[in-house]
Amino acid sequence: MSASAIFVLDLKGKVLICRNYKGDVDMAEIDHFMPLLMQHEEEGLLCPVISHGNVHFMWIKHSNLYLVAMTNKNSNASLVYSFLYKLVEVFTEYFKELEEESIQDNFVVVYELLDELMDFGFPQTTDSKILQEYITQEGAKLEVAKTKVPTTVTNAVSWRSEGIKYKKNEVFIDVIESINVLVNANGSVMSSDIVGSIKLKTMLSGMPELRLGLNDRVLFALTGRDKGKTVVMEDVKFHQCVRLSRFENDRTISFIPPDGESELMSYRINTHVKPLIWIESIIEKFSHSRVEIMVKAKGQFKKQSVANNVEVRVPVPSDADSPKFKTSTGNAKYVPEKNLVVWTIKSFPGGKEFLMRAHFGLPSVENDELEGKPPITVKFEIPYFTVSGIQVRYMKIIEKSGYQALPWVRYITQSGGTLLIWRNKYLWLSYCV
Amino acid sequence: MPYLGGEETVRELRRALSNPNVQSDQLRYRNTILKVIRAMSQGVDMSGLFSEMVKACATVDVVQKKLVYVFLCSYAALNPELSLLVINTLRKDCQDPNPMVRSLALRNMTNLRLPSLVEYVEQPLAAGLRDRAACVRRVAVLGWAKLHNLQASSEIDAAVVNELYSLLRDPDPVVMVNCLRALEEILKDEGGVAINKPITHHLLNRLKECDIWGQCQVLRVLQRYRPQSEDELFDILSLLDASLVSPHPPIMAATLSLFLSLCSGQPAVSLAALERVRGPLLAACGSGSREMRFTALCHIQLLLRSIPGLMGAHYKRFFCGYAEPAYIKQRKMQVLVELVNDENVAMLLDELKGYCTDVNAETAQAAITAIGRIGRSYSDRCLEILTGLLGLKQDHITSAVVQTMRDLVWVCPQCSDTVCFALEGCEETLQDSQGRQALLWLLGVYGERVSSAPYTLEVFIDGVRSEASLGVKMELLTATMRLFLCRPAETQDMLGRLLHYCIEEETDMCVRDQALLYYRLLHCGIEETRKVLQGRRSDPSLGVLIGRPAEPVSQWARSFNTLEPLRQGSIETESVSRGSPEHTMFDPKPNADLSNTLDCSRIEKVHSDGDGRCSDSSADILASSVAAPLSLSLFPALSPEEFERLWLQQLALHAEQEEAGKEDFVWMEECVRCPTIPRCSPQSLQAAMQLVNIQTLAFTPPQTLPWRVYLYTHTCLDDAPHSTLILGELLYTGEEPQKAEVHKGSADGGVGAEGIEDEQARQGMEATADGGQEAVKVTLRQQPRDDKALKGFLSILTTVLHTLSSERA
Repeated sequence: MSASAIFVLDLKGKVLICRNYKGDVDMAEIDHFMPLLMQHEEEGLLCPVISHGNVHFMWIKHSNLYLVAMTNKNSNASLVYSFLYKLVEVFTEYFKELEEESIQDNFVVVYELLDELMDFGFPQTTDSKILQEYITQEGAKLEVAKTKVPTTVTNAVSWRSEGIKYKKNEVFIDVIESINVLVNANGSVMSSDIVGSIKLKTMLSGMPELRLGLNDRVLFALTGRDKGKTVVMEDVKFHQCVRLSRFENDRTISFIPPDGESELMSYRINTHVKPLIWIESIIEKFSHSRVEIMVKAKGQFKKQSVANNVEVRVPVPSDADSPKFKTSTGNAKYVPEKNLVVWTIKSFPGGKEFLMRAHFGLPSVENDELEGKPPITVKFEIPYFTVSGIQVRYMKIIEKSGYQALPWVRYITQSGGTLLIWRNKYLWLSYCV
Repeated sequence: MPYLGGEETVRELRRALSNPNVQSDQLRYRNTILKVIRAMSQGVDMSGLFSEMVKACATVDVVQKKLVYVFLCSYAALNPELSLLVINTLRKDCQDPNPMVRSLALRNMTNLRLPSLVEYVEQPLAAGLRDRAACVRRVAVLGWAKLHNLQASSEIDAAVVNELYSLLRDPDPVVMVNCLRALEEILKDEGGVAINKPITHHLLNRLKECDIWGQCQVLRVLQRYRPQSEDELFDILSLLDASLVSPHPPIMAATLSLFLSLCSGQPAVSLAALERVRGPLLAACGSGSREMRFTALCHIQLLLRSIPGLMGAHYKRFFCGYAEPAYIKQRKMQVLVELVNDENVAMLLDELKGYCTDVNAETAQAAITAIGRIGRSYSDRCLEILTGLLGLKQDHITSAVVQTMRDLVWVCPQCSDTVCFALEGCEETLQDSQGRQALLWLLGVYGERVSSAPYTLEVFIDGVRSEASLGVKMELLTATMRLFLCRPAETQDMLGRLLHYCIEEETDMCVRDQALLYYRLLHCGIEETRKVLQGRRSDPSLGVLIGRPAEPVSQWARSFNTLEPLRQGSIETESVSRGSPEHTMFDPKPNADLSNTLDCSRIEKVHSDGDGRCSDSSADILASSVAAPLSLSLFPALSPEEFERLWLQQLALHAEQEEAGKEDFVWMEECVRCPTIPRCSPQSLQAAMQLVNIQTLAFTPPQTLPWRVYLYTHTCLDDAPHSTLILGELLYTGEEPQKAEVHKGSADGGVGAEGIEDEQARQGMEATADGGQEAVKVTLRQQPRDDKALKGFLSILTTVLHTLSSERA
């Protein structure tokens, strides 16, 4: 691992804050970072590693900031990137929004955090839940040194403090699935997968022991039951609180939850997904005069379900003007800075079909520039429904004091970063999600 | 935040800091300090306030302390004397009842980085190791590493090292991991922390308690462990299996790295581990962070060098998303090229074709290059796409296509007809010098088949005055000369004009000298000129894509999970398609710049060149088993006719000169047992040989009997004065080998190859025992005689054959 120094730069490359962890690299080296970045960008050779002499910069960009780790060792790249993303995560939890202003306004806390997150180039305490116990923004308000030592620093359960109390003990479980579908111009599904996550909002007193039951096919096969719908999950990732050994032995998900909001697990399901909202479009381009667009959206999910906040984004040529729209439902809007028509439908019941027509003028002078052919994308949310059919069968809550607690479960499906391929130039096309 | 003028601000802040009224008011005092730090972060030099800030650190307010320490650590190096004043406060803080304050003081004491203060720091650090709060121990342990870093020459007390070793058993996992890190740093000269059996087992048992960072550190340190028995090895591997498929890419990568180093003696287990990580790696390729995706892709490229088919079925996962950054798209295309096979080629090419019109010119060019690479195996389909792209009349696309076609023709001469046909008319859209150079090269070499070639060249020659690119001018000279050789009538006049211009008016020495050279060459007569200028038109041995031999895992295992794989590819893409193929062919790979600067893993020699061009590195590695370092080279090239002449001459001589020991050449025969070699495809055999710089000249098709291969190479032994030429024949008759497995030509009676001979004999015997049909007869002829080199060569050849046949088996 070992990063020699960490920098936070603004878009112009000015250092906002930095921490020299090892003292083995000249801090002035960072002045080479921005010019090199610009040069590489111009040459089209931009890469997340930039080297100058024997110094290597590994960088990520977040809103209007560059986070840069500097090293002169052949260090472990994936670990450095993980750490930079961890920084973003921790800062975001502290400041809600991580951007230049929030760094400027909170530089005391940033210094404190940088001190605790890493020492001598090695990550130390990176769990924001723990950090929040002893580095607080309130700390910046004057308060004569608290001698209270956070228990988590020495605790066996590092993600939860002792002595938490709630009047009403509740757990909220959100099952959120987002689907990614790739469809080619002929309308056939190239690839599809579902990325799901289970989020918890825990409001429980003491040190409760939780057990979560899912309709996991492996578990059902293990116990010999074979009734109802089951799912096969891949790439299951757990929060550190879950006892992995138990999951590996008997697929039981048992854990002591962190207090407040957390992501308990994430998974991926690699199955063939039928696009939930099917889009067909006819785009006719009459050079030098106009473009006519017709988009048909069809809800291919159960009649009882309703998709909310459906957004169909149709790209149009950058030189189009004077838009006219006609929709069977919802609103269509032209967003010229993104060269898009955005058609929004507040609620879209399953099985229904809607139409949108758009008409644009084109300048008589042809645009010579080579234009990208971005895909049509669709965004939506379907509550009370999961594509994979995953279900929370039970949530058991056991605490020494024996209180009764209520688990609440909510399901939701979203479209993820849906990608559709736009191949032929303004011909008859059909897309779907 | 308005810009604050430096000196004025410093003066103002100094006044505020030393104002007793401010000092007595906690809130105002802290706010003033805040202003100092803010100005410091903005790059204003605040070092003048050092003594005031030293006073400010004697406070009960933890936040104020932290701020002051940030200040002091930044400027301590400028004020070593004044820093001595801080030590007292810091040492007092080390006695504080609050562990947070103790750890803060310790951390900053060591962060001051002043050698003069070391004597004051050692005692609190030693006490810190025994502190009851884990957070203090964490800091103290790393503190020793910092101290050592500060004065690397001085010895750290052995007692401290012992204490650190004992702290490996600390109940706090972070303390344990920090101990590893500190010991690695302190004992760097001795090769890092000693990893013996008890430590290894202890670390493995506690692995689960650590966080991601800790696990990666532990896994990395364990790479140095060598299990004492096979049982222990497999116990460790089974224990680590869960980490190997961990959903956290860093842990998965670190575990794989450990697997590879533990199983370095067991290639089969390593390969099984690679298969096992396929899923997690693919998942990492779909990770939300583009940098992580990029890293995963780079590492997949490493894996593919050993198991080319690893991701074959998952090629769709490497299709590019519209919004992905160019560096990811380019890596994905490089991976896609590796994954091509008969089933997916149509789909893959269709997809790549889509990328050729990407808005980003580099991505488009990378896609075109990728199609060209696939064209080495599927030339018809690819040429069709490439020709189609020319129709778009986009200059960057045309340039990339012409360069790709040039590279393709160099490797697959059978494509030349299509290429020549496609070239017509594309000079109008070519703008950049690379593309025009490629066009000129093609026109020069295939001028007789492109009807419009002289006219195209004429346009170039007419515009040579305003030509800025040196490369284009040189290429133009060569191309015109070549065209003159095959179409003198049409070209003579313009060649005269060009030479005249270049010799009389051109200011660049390189161009002028080249023109003079050609001019004088023409004086020597047309035959001489032809000999010089009409070299090879192609080198088919360069370019097999499919069936390329898999490299052993050990070639890249040491650079796995470091920074290095992220950089290699960019170098590779640069070296591809630049200049004429003849020129680039024997270029050494410019791969050294990274390895020099990175200290921890200098891998032996990376054979990063994806397309199997000649490189000495693999030969070195293979030859390392031989006593003296031997390197092979293909230069100077030998034509088939020349080979035949030498071979036959030598056969004849061999018959006559039985007794002549002083003969200039050696002649030897060996039997090598390599069961499946004759069933190998010519391509893979050729590529494997190419990898160690042995050129194969002629083949019989696979599965026919008798099966023969002819090959040659040049050897240069490091301590030998001259190089030698070796000619060889591999013969497989499919019959029982002759009784005496090994019999050498008489001329080589004195060769001291006893060891090899015995081994070969043994292998020969085994072969007979196994059914006996598996031996391939190797006949070698060396000139001039050099026994050591011949011996070395034979062992290289044997290694290659064995590797190939074990792969087939």
